[in-house]
Amino acid sequence: MITQNQLHHDLEEMLELDADTIKGNENLDEIAWDSMTVVMFIAMADQKYSVAVSPSKLADAKTVSDLYSLISNPA
Amino acid sequence: MAIVQFTKSKIAGITCTLPRQIITTAEVAAALGTNATKVKAMTGISQRRIAPPEICASDLCVDAAGRLLVDLEWDLQSIDALVFVTQTPDYILPATACTLQQRLGLPNTCACFDVNMGCSGYIYGLWLASSLVESGLKRVLLLVGDTLTRIVSEADRSVAFLFGDSGSATALEQGESNTTFVLGTDGSGAEHLIIRAGQARQRMTPDLCKRVEMEGGNIRSPQELYMNGSEVMAFTLREVPPLFEQLLEHSGTQRDEIDAVVMHQANQFLLDNLTRKIGIESNRVPTTVENFGNTSCASVAVKISLCLGEQISENNIKLAMMGFGVGWSWAGCIGDFGPIKVPPVNFLE
Repeated sequence: MITQNQLHHDLEEMLELDADTIKGNENLDEIAWDSMTVVMFIAMADQKYSVAVSPSKLADAKTVSDLYSLISNPA
Repeated sequence: MAIVQFTKSKIAGITCTLPRQIITTAEVAAALGTNATKVKAMTGISQRRIAPPEICASDLCVDAAGRLLVDLEWDLQSIDALVFVTQTPDYILPATACTLQQRLGLPNTCACFDVNMGCSGYIYGLWLASSLVESGLKRVLLLVGDTLTRIVSEADRSVAFLFGDSGSATALEQGESNTTFVLGTDGSGAEHLIIRAGQARQRMTPDLCKRVEMEGGNIRSPQELYMNGSEVMAFTLREVPPLFEQLLEHSGTQRDEIDAVVMHQANQFLLDNLTRKIGIESNRVPTTVENFGNTSCASVAVKISLCLGEQISENNIKLAMMGFGVGWSWAGCIGDFGPIKVPPVNFLE
């Protein structure tokens, strides 16, 4: 089971943010979320969590917390 | 299941022709107000070849085919079929392949037809052309090419950085071979990579030529390419690794026997992820993405010509090839190829 802290750490690495920047309650538009980072997130979830994220559900995600829900309840 | 082994049809030669004109990621990024470094880091693309308005995919393929036929010293009368794989034909009708028969001086006894396939198109073309040879035809010319830059909006960030133009020619004839093909389709993905207007479903009207702002501020008209990048990524991660496993299984091949895996050149990020997933070292997965971008249906031929030309012209090597994308459509093959003729890639003015 992936922890929220692990996801935050991986997102910080992917987005090249300083450590402990992400707390979990951020809106995605606050962390430079765009069409490229969406693609990177799908690849990261596949590689690190072995989770196939649904692109249409990902498109509806608004917050970092929503991303955590997607990878912890992929079905 | 579309899984088949061929034993009597071999590749005799491959070459490619690309436009001489170059467009760089830096130029496009400057025009769009985008960070070129970020785009380059993600796509791996520094520059691409772009055809001027007067050059079509058919023209690139005619140049490639003409040079290849000279190198092979084939009697044109011995060519029984021509298959042209493209998404950018010269006309809605007739089939561009018919005009290519005349332009290349092929006999009237030659069967010629177009196939509308994109990213999987080179492998589909190889499978089809091989099938024709296996069915009894003596020699078949497979021409695969696209000028996708013609149907992409340069104001649409989701596609403006990706595509390059190219044409290829592959010659097949009767001869000993051992090639396994696996092909597949999932039409539920059709809406994610599509040009909606301009054909029978939605005929062209003046309104449909107008560019409008779409999702994420991307600007295009309905007669230009729409791509949902996240759906493309999810599809390839889902379908390509099983395709590779099926190829290994049905051909009885071990990973370490393969000299090179030639994958459709979508972009470097996608290629890196697929390379990781299929369990092959990156030094056996050559890439042309940096200088040529995504050359659509011809990308596998472009990569063989540019990266493996010397090797395959002198030796018999084991290659896995895989194409995947628009459709969704995917196809792969594993076989022993070479020595074959590989005339140097030409750059057309």
